[in-house]
Parts: sequence; structure tokens; C-alpha cells
Amino acid sequence: MAPKKTNIKKVIEDDTNSRRDFIKKSGLFTALAFAPPSLVMASEKKWDEKIAEYLETVPLSIEVNGTKHNLNVEPRTTLLDLLRENLQLTGTKKGCDHGQCGACTVHVNGTRILSCLTLASMQQNAQVTTIEGLSKGKKLHPMQEAFIKNDGFQCGYCTPGQIMSGIACIKEGHANSREEIREYMSGNICRCGAYHNIVDAITEVKEGGKPL
Amino acid sequence: MSKTSNINRVDGFAKVTGSATYSAEYKTAGVTYACLVGSTIAKGRIKSIDTKKAEWAPGVLAVITHLNVEKPAGYEQAKQRNNLGQPLQIFKDDSVRYYDQPIALVIADTFERMQYAASLIKAEYLKEEHTTQLEKAKDKSRNPGGDRAKDYNRGTEDAYKTAEVVLEAEYTIPTEVHNPMELANIIAKWENNKPILYTKSQGVEGTRKSVGNVFGIPPEDVEVHSEYLGGAFGMGLHTWPYEIAALIGSKKIGKPVKLVLHREQMFTNVGFRPYTIQKMGLGATKDGKLTGLSHEALAMTSNYEDFTEATVNMSRFMYDCANVSTKYRIAELDTCTPIWMRGPGEATGSFALESAIDELAHKLNMDPIEFRKRNHAEKDLEQNKPWSSKYLLDCYEAGMERIGWKDRKNKPGSVREGEWLVGYGMGTGTFGSYRNPTTVKAKFLADGNLVLQCSVNDMGPGTATMMTAIGAEITGIPTENVVIEMGRSGLPKGPTQGGSATTSSVGSAVHDACNLLVSKALGLATENPTFKNIPITDLTFANGSVSSKKEASKSVSLTTLLSANKLEELAVENESKGSEEAKKYSIYSFSVHFVKVLVNPNLGKIRIAHVVSCADIGTVINHKTSAGQMYGGAVGGIGMGLMEALEIDHRFGRPINNNFADYHVPVNADIEKQEVFFVNKKDPVSNPMGTKGLGETALVGMAPAIANAVFNATGKRVRDLPITLDKILEPIVATS
Amino acid sequence: MKNFQIIRALSSGSAVTNISKEPSAMFIAGGTNLVDLMKKNVVVPDKLVDITALDLKKIEFGTGQVSIGALAKNSQVAEDKSIKEKYPLLALALAAGASQQIRHMATVGGNMLQRTRCSYFYNTDMPCNKRTPKSGCGAIGGSNRMHAIFGASDSCIAVHPSDMCIALAALDATVFVEGPKGKRQIKFTDFHRLPGNSPEKDNTLESKELITSVEIPENNFTKNIHYLKVRDRSSYAFALISVAVGLDIKNNVINEARLAMGGVAHKPWRLTEAEEFLKGKTVSEETFRQAANLSMKGAKSYGDNAFKLTLGPNAITEALTIAASK
Repeated sequence: MAPKKTNIKKVIEDDTNSRRDFIKKSGLFTALAFAPPSLVMASEKKWDEKIAEYLETVPLSIEVNGTKHNLNVEPRTTLLDLLRENLQLTGTKKGCDHGQCGACTVHVNGTRILSCLTLASMQQNAQVTTIEGLSKGKKLHPMQEAFIKNDGFQCGYCTPGQIMSGIACIKEGHANSREEIREYMSGNICRCGAYHNIVDAITEVKEGGKPL
Repeated sequence: MSKTSNINRVDGFAKVTGSATYSAEYKTAGVTYACLVGSTIAKGRIKSIDTKKAEWAPGVLAVITHLNVEKPAGYEQAKQRNNLGQPLQIFKDDSVRYYDQPIALVIADTFERMQYAASLIKAEYLKEEHTTQLEKAKDKSRNPGGDRAKDYNRGTEDAYKTAEVVLEAEYTIPTEVHNPMELANIIAKWENNKPILYTKSQGVEGTRKSVGNVFGIPPEDVEVHSEYLGGAFGMGLHTWPYEIAALIGSKKIGKPVKLVLHREQMFTNVGFRPYTIQKMGLGATKDGKLTGLSHEALAMTSNYEDFTEATVNMSRFMYDCANVSTKYRIAELDTCTPIWMRGPGEATGSFALESAIDELAHKLNMDPIEFRKRNHAEKDLEQNKPWSSKYLLDCYEAGMERIGWKDRKNKPGSVREGEWLVGYGMGTGTFGSYRNPTTVKAKFLADGNLVLQCSVNDMGPGTATMMTAIGAEITGIPTENVVIEMGRSGLPKGPTQGGSATTSSVGSAVHDACNLLVSKALGLATENPTFKNIPITDLTFANGSVSSKKEASKSVSLTTLLSANKLEELAVENESKGSEEAKKYSIYSFSVHFVKVLVNPNLGKIRIAHVVSCADIGTVINHKTSAGQMYGGAVGGIGMGLMEALEIDHRFGRPINNNFADYHVPVNADIEKQEVFFVNKKDPVSNPMGTKGLGETALVGMAPAIANAVFNATGKRVRDLPITLDKILEPIVATS
Repeated sequence: MKNFQIIRALSSGSAVTNISKEPSAMFIAGGTNLVDLMKKNVVVPDKLVDITALDLKKIEFGTGQVSIGALAKNSQVAEDKSIKEKYPLLALALAAGASQQIRHMATVGGNMLQRTRCSYFYNTDMPCNKRTPKSGCGAIGGSNRMHAIFGASDSCIAVHPSDMCIALAALDATVFVEGPKGKRQIKFTDFHRLPGNSPEKDNTLESKELITSVEIPENNFTKNIHYLKVRDRSSYAFALISVAVGLDIKNNVINEARLAMGGVAHKPWRLTEAEEFLKGKTVSEETFRQAANLSMKGAKSYGDNAFKLTLGPNAITEALTIAASK
């Protein structure tokens, strides 16, 4: 599962050069579609996977926590699965995989989003920050420190998402009261029920005024 | 307050940096991806299953069904269905026992390919008539047997019926689902024909035993890792079919298999709090003395395994009442087996008992706390034993003060804040304090660290932090020098994490092992020339050194002692268990939740404006983590009280809201103000630290507190949870 | 999820051209609903045309109207200073939807195309005429707490789930689209449709048409407005019922009223009769109740959702009262 580097330009944009590329590929798709027996053989001989690897992936250049990655990804791969399964950045959590819990919250180009509903293939040249990108060695981000001090978690599984969301909540200007924090943190479910302490932590960071 | 009574979580750094490793996150060379395909009927047989397309799909390594599975050796042994005896034997045959029962395992080289291949599997069924509705299975109910579920009677049966004031009411709680944020997940592999599991288990030793049973191998041959759990709340108390499936799959392909359930499957395949119908009968004198109490419960179980919990048991001892009877029945439904969910039966039972007490108090026109005080049990009438300690009255006082109980009026609907109707309510909780035999190894290392080892794990309450605090207190070693090794097999045997027994069991074992270790260090010191002719009783261990009590200048560091004796470490392994003395007492934790609600009756909107949660849990080892438990228990209770219910379309025997968008759990905005109060008085007999247990009782009593507050605000008594807005909506009468 | 081809479009024209070539091709922008549906195999496209590079993100204030690009993010619109000032009802409705993370991803165009949250639609092993025509409606006779009380049919009782659209319906917005046959405009209230016998169609977009922008005319609904959302928890939940209210009040007399409901029909449910009734009336709770009761004409429940017959008029009365008191 090691990410492969490639220079082949496979993303299809609607300029003339790549359109030719596209027609070539769609021709091949059609050929395969009309030949089920050969597909079966392809499957048995495993050579479909080589074609698939070429056909079914697109190149992706993406920056994660300051590190640039040149990858080939399937169009269907979500940013969450790319982070967890391909880049081994398991700090970002899968809680529901359907945008219903917030555990997978990361920052893309400075904005908090749900990585489970984000196709990695649509994040060309994006700058992604995950929980792993917050601390510098043993030096924690103020929000991480506040979560420890205020005990803003128990099992810790929703915590990376809460922290990423909490930082954004302040940066967006939505941490002006406990009530506002509660509303703007409601996209992050904590089943252990640490909400009281999460609001404490965010309030403390907001009032501390440190750069985030 | 001791130095360690408010320390931060010792695993905090790992958890806030994303470096804490949960089961499916272990970096495993050559790992493959698997998922389970579920049945689309609730009962019947698999007529045919088409796996060809999936097998041909790119990257697929195996598709396993009942048709091609190599059945684990232990499948042959017939087990009894009682007491969680026989989990579903996955892929054993063509039978379908519940909706979404796994019928196939798909393994592929990448996550995406596996997911797609799974979507290609199609099955045909021979359907049979299913029952998923408890009301329809009532006439097939039975007593599950076993001591705790026996019919209970004290005094005259049905005495309540002839009381001056009588209350009879029926209460229903729906199926609720644990839904920890971390999905059930496992990485399974085999090495030298022995299974290795990285899995979401609340009990390493329990998982070893049950996996061993399935595969016909001794538990010692099963390696289990479960260091970090992203919550579990009880769902990790059983070894589930998905874990066995991953092991079967890994064995078949000879590679590690990672299997993570979908959130949808978390509702169908890993247990839940069972749908329960309860009948209460209470009788009292006009001046508020309980004269009779009857509590009957009917709960669901699966069609292949019995599950029971202590739903009615709290009614036997909670109040001073001469005539008490309880009955507990179960009925089989075509679903997965339920499993204890936080506060388990006591949370269910307390909804009925504490609602009924509130209802009767209202009938008596009496303050519900006053009514409880008049029936305060000075001893445990069920076991006829004294309480080891009981500070429930302190909890009432503290809660009343903090919530502003004086502003409450007995007459419902008589307090307003602006447009909102204001209601105050409370509910009492209790949970037994248990202590399980536990072995802990404590080691002093030459580098000055104290290492504590135990196979117990930590699903969130802060077990490692508790162990650190106790270890540091006993040895005087700074908390940052205490190293905890836990959550995997091969370590000294710890208990399953459940029943609020971890601190009592493991904490005591840490306490005992550390004391023995200090003695051993002192013993070693007596042989050192520095302490020549000084008796061991005159030696003391502090700050990592042994010194003479009388001559403080005579001091030798542990490091020096170890090296002088050519030792790398000094270790003690010790099993610790409850005392005989403790058996003479009834040991319970007590909690009271106070709730202030604001209700808009036109919209049915209920706001949880303020919650004060008070508890008598004996000694509080760590205020920070304990408060966290209590806050969390109350939030769990808000879910139970206001929103959680697994809805079944009984036509299909299928849950209809099995996802996080439609099954609502509380979000941050659902709770406005929360406070916690602990009596923090040492229990004299429970264990060396005097703790009594917290995790379960932290939830017990919260749902009825909300129901009682809603009644106080609106005059609407809701007896079937959750209290959704439709149940309290009032029609506005048109004025024209 | 089935794999698919993904093509990044650089202009709206080429996006439409590209998508026209394959029957199961779809546009993708925020992806918050589409990716979810693809994961559940409810929607299985062979090709996605990524339109996020198109220049359709702007909010432009002109004379007499604002034009909001189809790719403007929900949060971008909700927090735009001028939108908050001139179209506060829209800002309120947007902020009531989903969570901030989702609002950062979801676009205005995508929000309009959100599919229903009906459980039967989402679960491919259940009957659903909207997902699989002629398979039946699971919600009729089944679990239908969320479902419609207005304009439903024997084929479908699902509701439209958006908050934003309720405000846009109330504000007389217009949808601008571009398709293989060229550009056209659709009145917002005509954009979504009732299920009838073809519930598979949520709206009146023609095949392969792309939403490019939404225009809202200038109005006086800047002060006495409210978006009331009633749901099963305090945040991050779909509406059981929502009410968008805009009142133009002078000297305690209602010059003009706008009222629309969400969570009650297959489309945003504009309450024109009540609007007419309120015109020229003096502000009073009694008037509001009368308007609310008027609005419920023709409402029909299906079992679990019977409470909406009570909640509906209560919510309208409440929303009108709050709006008038601002």
C-alpha cells in the first residue's frame, strides 16, 4: 500500500491535449465493456489489475502537514482513507464514514471539513492539516494543551476531530460565548459526553489569546 | 487532597496528538481489508448466495460464506444458551437469525476494492416469519433462571394494592445502542497456528477464553491486544462474530486481516440495551411511608442466546419498604443478542422506579425528595446487611442547593422563565461495588521508574491514570516516573473492564503490589552496609530512596541498592482480592442527578438548562477523571431520556434509523450547564483505598430525573422513552 | 463504492459538454450528499465531472438583486456581511443546517439538489419508488416520523431536507441553469416538485443541466424575519418542521408577508394563502394563529408523523410571533 510516485499526467482536464488522452482511455473502457469473457480472464490472470491500476487511478499532488506527496489514487478514495490507510496518519478518525459525527475533521487550506465526504482526487494541490501536524515534537498546540488540562476527552477517539474543530471554531470567530461554542462544536459528537470540558478547553484557549 | 488527586490523564499526550493506537490502527505488514455482508431478511434460510462477481472483482483475495468456510473446531461443541453462553456461530449454516446477520466475508487488497466487491454479493432467501416486537412475544416470556433473576418476595406480595395511596404504571424503554465513536474493529492474524488479535475488547482475558473456545485452543495460545478503546460502554463485553470472522478469514488467506464494521452494523451486530417493558405498583400511607412495592420487567433477548441484567434488583433495596416483590422475564426476538450498556439494567430499572416514586410523591402532594427521605433505607433490606457506607442524603442536600431546588413548585407548570416552562426533577441511582481478583506486577527499575503491569484495559474512564496515581501515592515515585503497561495478553491477569469494578479491583491490586514492593526494597536495604543494625521498621521509602527514619542522612537511592545487588529491577507480582470482612456489608455507590429543564410546550422543545450530578462513590482517586465520568454519564442519560431509540420497521424486522443522522445521540448544544459533586468520603471496607465505583451509577437515574423535570414543567408524564417532542406537544386552540 | 472516472471541468460549458456524453455521469462539487449516497450505493455514477474549478463562487450584489454563484459555500453565504444585512433570513436558514464542517464543504447548488433523508430511500434493500421506481414506498405504512403532510402521493411521502431552500422559496429566488440546450431560468418555487407518480425526480432540472447561480430580488425582509427549526436535538439534525418567515411591518401593520415551511413536503412549502391573509393585518398573536391554521388546509398525516399536524400551526404561530417581535 506504499504510495507510488508518478509523473504520468492522468488527470483529465478539458484542454486539447488531455482530451485526446481521455478519448483513448474511454475507448479502452468500451472495449473491455464489450468483452466480458476477456474480463474474466483478465481477472484470473491478474492483468486487469495492471490495467486497472493505470485506468482506475489519477495522480494527486497533495501537501499533508507540510509534506508534499505525489500519489496515484483511485477517484473513489476519500481523503480520510487516504490519510489513514495510505499515509498511515491514523490520528484522523473514522467514526461513521457518512458525515454524521465529525471524528474525521481536518483542515483543508485552513478550513475545517469532513475528510470522509471528501474525495482525495478532488484535492489537487490542497494543503491538509491533521492532528499530527499540530504539535512540534513534544511541544503541543495550545488547544492540545487545553484539552489535556481541562480533561476534554475520555476515550480519546473523537478528540482529534474535536481539537481540529475547536481551533477552527476560534479562528472563524465562533467562540465568543459558551453558547456559541456549543452550537459551532455540535458537528463533533463525543459519546463519552465530555462536552462540558471541551467547551472549557476552547474557552480557555480563546481567552488565552495565543496565536493558533 | 493528595498530590495525585487531580492529575491529568497519563495518556493525554497520546490522545491529543493522534498517536494513541486503536485496534485497526496498528501498522501491520501485508494487511488486507475485510468486511461483512449482512442478510437482508430477519429470519429464514439462505437459498443461494452469488459470490462470483465479488470473487472476480479486482483485488479480491477471498469470499467466505457458510458454503466454503472451514468451520472452527469449537463449533461442534453445543453450548447452553443461558447467560450469554452461545454467541452466534458465524457462517455455521444457512440459517438467518436476524436482519444484517453476516452471511459473507469479503477480503481484498485495498479498502476501496473490498467495499466495492462486497456490494456485488447477492443472496436469495427462504423467508420465515419473524418477530422483532416485544409486545408480540409477551406470551412466550420466561424466567431466564439464575440467582439474580429469581422472583423475589419480601413481606406480603401485592401489599401495595391495599395501601392508602396506590400507584400503578407501565414504563417502556426502547432499544438503545452503545455506539462508541470508534467502530468495532479488529486486525486478526495467525502466527504458528496461534491467533493474534488487535481488537476492541473490554476484557483481554475474556476474549482469549472465548476465542480459544471457538477455535478449540487453550486461552494461553490466544494473543490479544486492546490497549486503547475508543469507548465501548459495554459493547466490548462479548466476543462478537465479526472478530471470529476476521480470524477465519486471516487463517484462510494466510495474511493479516483488518475488519472495521460500518456504523450501520454497529446497530445490528454488536449488542444493545434491550427493549424493556416494566410494570410498577407502589403503595404508601398518606403521610408518605412506602408500604408496598412491586416491580416486574419483561426484556428482549435473541433467539439463540439469553441475556439478562439486574433491571428489577434496585427496587429490592433502594427504599425502606417491608413488602417488596420483583419479577424478571425475557422473551426471544429475531435480533442480535443484547449486551450490557452503561448503567445496564439499573439504568433501565431506575427509569421505572424513580419515575414511579416521583409519581407517587405527586399523588401525595409531597416534595419528591422529602418522600425519598421518609423512605430512606438505613440498611440493605434485601441482603439484610448494613451498608458499608451511604451518603445518599448528602447527595440530596448538595444537589438541592446547587440546582436551586427551592425555586421548584410541586404543582406542575407553575414556574416560568419568559416563554419557557421551568421544571425541576431528580432521580436516584445506585450500583453495586464489586472487586474482582486481579494480579499486578510492580517493578522498580534502576532508572528510577516504577512499572505497573496488568492486562486490564482502559476504554476511557482513566484506568491508567488511576493506576499511576495509586502507584505514585504508595511509593512516593513522581507520577511522571510511573510507567503503565496494560491492555494486552501476556501481562499479569487483570479483570474485564465493566461493572464499575476496575478501580476497586485493579487499584487495590496496584495498592497491594506497591506496598509489597516497598517492603521488598526496605528488606533489600537492611542488607546494605549503610543501614547496618537498623531494623526494617525504622526504614522508610520516599523519593526513590530508602532512608533511616531516625537519621535522615542515612539514605541510599534505589538505583544504588539495585546496582549494589547486581539487580536490574526489583519486582513483585501479586494477586489481590476482596476481604472476608467486606462480605459482611452491602457495598453500593449512590448517585443523584438533578435536572432543570425549560420546555416550550407549543413546539415540544425541551432544553436541558442545568444538570447537577452528585455521587457517593467512596474515595475519589482522581477528581478530574471522575468528574469526566459523571459529566459523561449525565450526557448518556440525556440521550436515553430525550432522543435515543432504535426504531424497527417490524414488517421487515429491520432497524430503520441505524446511522448517526437518524439515531440521535446528544451533541454539544444539548446541554447548557453541568456541575458535579462528590461526597468523597472513604468507604471503610470496600477496598484499601475506600472507593466504590462510578462509571455505571454515573448514568443511572438521569433519564427519570429528566422525565420528572419534564412532568414538573408541563404536567405531562412520559412513561415511554425517549421523551421526543411529539409526546409533550400541546395543540394551540384556535381563538377564532 | 464503484470506481468512476473523474474529470475536472474548467468552464461551465465544457462541464455540460463532458457530462452529456455519458448517461450515468454526474456533477460533483461539495460532495457532502453525493459521496454519502455513493457510499450507500444509492447513486452509482460511472463518471463524475468535478466542477469546483468553475468560476461560480461569487456573491454579487447588483441593482435590485443579489446573485449567488452555485459554488458559493453554505458557510460563505451564511457569514457574508451583506447577506446577513440584506437577506438575514437566508443567513439564518443556512446556519441552521448540518454542521459547520459540512457548511464549509456544501455549495448552494448542491444544497438545492440534496436528496431526501427518508430511510427507505437510503437503504437499498428496502422498497423506495424514489430510488428504484416501481419498487413501492416503504414509508407508507412504515416508519414515517420525518415524512410529508402536504402534497405527497401514493408513490412517495418523502420530504425535501434543505433549510436553505426554505428561505430561498420564501424570498422569491430564481435559479439560473445551463444545459445542453442552453441557458434558462427557473422560479425557485418551481424548481423542486411534488412526487406524483414520478418521485424519482426531485426537481425540474432537465437531464445534464447545471445550476450556475441563484438570484434573490431585493426586499424589505431585513428585520422582522425568523427561521424556526424544530428538530429532535438542539443542533446537527434534520428539521421535523421548519418555518421561514419574512414580515414587512410598518406601524404594526403587515405590508407584506412571506412564509415557507420545510420538513412537510417533497419541496419547500410556500404558504401563499397565509401570506395573503396576513397582508394589511395588524400584528397580533390571534392573527398569526389564524394564518397558521389557514396554512394547514389539506394537511394529511401517515401515522408516525401525525404530530406534525399539531406542530405545524404551532411552529408557524411561534415563528411569526418571534419575527414580529424583532
